[in-house]
Amino acid sequence: MSAIASSPATVHYREAFARLQPQLGGTASLRVAAMQRFAELGFPGARDEAWKYTSLRRLESRRFVPAAPTTTSVDVPPAFVAQRLVLANGSAAGPVPAAFGGFTLGTLQTAPEDQLLRTFVGGGTERFAALNAALTIGPLLLSTAAGQRSDDVVQLSLVTTGTGPTLASPRIAVRMAPGSRARLLLDHVDDGAHEHFTNAVLDIELGAGAHLTLYRLQRQGERAFHIERIESRVGENACFVLRDSQLGAALARLDTHVSLDGRAAGTEITGVFLADGSRHLDSHVLVDHRAIETTSLQDYRGIAANKGRGVFNGKAIVHAGAQKSNARQVNRNLLLTPGAEIDTKPDLEIYADDVQCSHGTTTGQLDPEALFYLRSRGLSEPEARSALTRAFAGAVMARVDEPVLARHVHDELDRRLVRLLEGSV
Amino acid sequence: MLSIRDLHAQIGVRKILKGVNLEVKPGEVHAIMGPNGSGKSTLASVLAGRAGYEVTKGTAHYLGDDLLALEPEERARRGVFLAFQYPVEIPGVNNAYLLKAALNAVRKQRGLQELDAFEFLALIKDKMKLMQMDESFLSRGVNEGFSGGEKKRNEILQMAVLEPKLALLDETDSGLDIDALRVVATGVNSLRSPERAIVMITHYQRLLDYIEPDFVHVLSDGRILRTGDKSLALELEKRGYDWVKQEASAA
Ligand SMILES: Nc1ncnc2c1ncn2[C@@H]1O[C@H](COP(=O)(O)OP(=O)(O)O)[C@@H](O)[C@H]1O
Ligand SMILES: [Mg+2]
Repeated sequence: MSAIASSPATVHYREAFARLQPQLGGTASLRVAAMQRFAELGFPGARDEAWKYTSLRRLESRRFVPAAPTTTSVDVPPAFVAQRLVLANGSAAGPVPAAFGGFTLGTLQTAPEDQLLRTFVGGGTERFAALNAALTIGPLLLSTAAGQRSDDVVQLSLVTTGTGPTLASPRIAVRMAPGSRARLLLDHVDDGAHEHFTNAVLDIELGAGAHLTLYRLQRQGERAFHIERIESRVGENACFVLRDSQLGAALARLDTHVSLDGRAAGTEITGVFLADGSRHLDSHVLVDHRAIETTSLQDYRGIAANKGRGVFNGKAIVHAGAQKSNARQVNRNLLLTPGAEIDTKPDLEIYADDVQCSHGTTTGQLDPEALFYLRSRGLSEPEARSALTRAFAGAVMARVDEPVLARHVHDELDRRLVRLLEGSV
Repeated sequence: MLSIRDLHAQIGVRKILKGVNLEVKPGEVHAIMGPNGSGKSTLASVLAGRAGYEVTKGTAHYLGDDLLALEPEERARRGVFLAFQYPVEIPGVNNAYLLKAALNAVRKQRGLQELDAFEFLALIKDKMKLMQMDESFLSRGVNEGFSGGEKKRNEILQMAVLEPKLALLDETDSGLDIDALRVVATGVNSLRSPERAIVMITHYQRLLDYIEPDFVHVLSDGRILRTGDKSLALELEKRGYDWVKQEASAA
C-alpha cells in the first residue's frame, strides 16, 4: 500500500466517512476502498499539472460536513421541462420510482453496486470521484431498454443544501442500451445559505448505436465550490453529446472524459462559461479515440471579466489503430475587462497516421469596429458590449436545442453582462 | 444645423484634416468630393465619434451643441447618422435586433414610446420594400455575408428607419451597379425634407444625377478648396481635381 497523505483535510473526510458509514448503503468494502484511494491521492499539490491554473487551497482549508441521508424536501427553481426529478445532496426526497421519463431507475437497493460506485483511474479528478464513491448517499442508475427512443428531455435537479457548509456527493450512472436514444438535463443548484461543496460524478455508457444528449447547467451560488467528473464510454456507432453551461459557483472544475471505444463512435462536447466577479471556472476535456472512424468535436466559448478567471484544457488522443478518425477542437475566449484572465491549452496526441485533426484557440477582446458600429446606431456602450458578447457565445448556444433551457441561459448571460458592463463603464 | 469651423484632426502624428469649414442648414443636400485619401472618411468619422482621431483645433457644432463632446451613441440618438463606407459584419447580432434597439434608442430620446414587436415589424416591412430587400435579411447577422451592394442598401435601410436629422453618407454609391444605385438613391430621396440635411461623400458625379445636391465641395489634402453648385461636380467629372488644386495654390 502506498503512503497515505494525511493532510488535515483528508483526515477530516476519513473521520467523517467513518461516522457516516453506518448510514450509507452498499457493502463496506467498495466504500472503504474508495475512501482509501482518496486518502492516498489527497488534495492536489502546487506542482500537480492537472491543477496548474486552479488552486484548491481554499477548498482544502474548509471542513465540509458530508451530507447524510435525509427526507426533507428542498426548494428548487422551476423545472425547464415536464419531467423532472429532484435530488437533494444526491438522493431523492421520496421513494425512487422504478421508472421515470423512459428510464428505468436503479438504486443501491435494486441495482448492482459495482455499477453505482465505480471509481475511475487517472485525470485530475480521480481523487474526487473516489471521494464521491465513498460518500454518495443516493446514487441513481438510469437505464434504457434496447432500441427505446425518446426525444423528451428528462431533467435532474441536483440541489446542494444543508444547515452548515455541506459536502454533497451526487452520482448518476446512465446506461444506454444498444440503439436507444435519450436526452437528459442536469441542473446544479444550491440553497445559497452556506458555502457548500458539490462533488458530482456522472458515469455514462452508451451501447452500440445509442445516442445521449446531456444538457448541463451549473448555476450554483456565489460561494459554492463545485467539482464534477463526467466519464463516458461510447460504443460502436453511438454518440454522446454534451451541451454545457458553466455559469455559477465561486470555484468550479469540470472534467469530461469521453472514451470512443467502438468503431465510428462519436462525441460533441460544447459549452460556454462566464467567469465574472471573482469566479474561477475550469473545464478539462479529454477525448480518447480508441477505434477506427471515431469523431469528436470540442467547442468551448469562455468569457471572463473583472477578477474572473477561466481555464480551458481540451485534449484529444488518437490512439494507434484509430485510423480514419476525426478530432476537432475549438476554444474561443473573450476577456471583457482588463484584469480578467483565461488560460487555455489545446492539446493533441496522435498515434495513428490516417486521421484528420484540427485545433484552434483564440483569446481576445470585443472588436472595436463592431462596437463603434453599434454605438453609432444609438446603442449604449453596455448594450453594444452585451450584444457582441452574446453573439460571441451564440455559435455554441445555438446548439442548445432545448428551448426553455436555452432561453434561461441567454437571459442569465444577458442579465449578468448588462450588470457587469453597466458597473464597469 | 451643422457648423464646422477650422477643424484639424490627426491620427497619431499624421495630420489629416487641416482646417475644414462647413455650414449645413436644414433641408440642404451637400456633396463632398475629392481624391482618394483627401480626408473625406476621416471627416465623417470625426463627426460620428469614432475613436482614434485627435481633434487638435477647431469646432463642430450640431444644433448648437458641441458635437465632438458627445459619445457616439449620444450623437446617434440626437439624430446624426453615418452610413459607413465599409459597414462591419457582426455575425451573431441579428439585423432585426439592431434595428429595433437603434430605433427605440432614438425614439426614447425624442420622447416617443418604444415600438412593440408588431408595430416594429410593420414599419420595417415598409422600409424594406422601399429598399427592395428581402425580409430574410432581418434574421441574418448584421451585414453577415452581405454582398457589397447589400451592405450599402442595409445602411440606407437603417437610415430610413431611424429618420435622422443629419445624414452623413460615406461613399454609399461606390461598388453599386446601376440598379442598386437607383434603389439607394430612391431611399435617400425619400428622406429629403425641409428639416433634414444630407451630406454625401462621393467620388463620382453619377450619384448626383439621382440625388441632386444644393452644394458641392471639393476636399483635398484635408481642406475644402472650392465650393459650388451641381455644375462643379460636372466640371470635376470632365477636368479631374488637379485644376482645383492649382487654382487654390495660385490664390
Ligand atoms: N488608421 C489610420 N492610420 C493612419 N493613417 C490613416 C488611417 N486612416 C486613414 N489614414 C490616412 O488618412 C488619409 C485620409 O484618409 P480617408 O479619410 O480615409 O480618405 P478618403 O476617405 O478621402 O479617401 C489617408 O492618407 C489615409 O491613408
Ligand atoms: Mg473614404
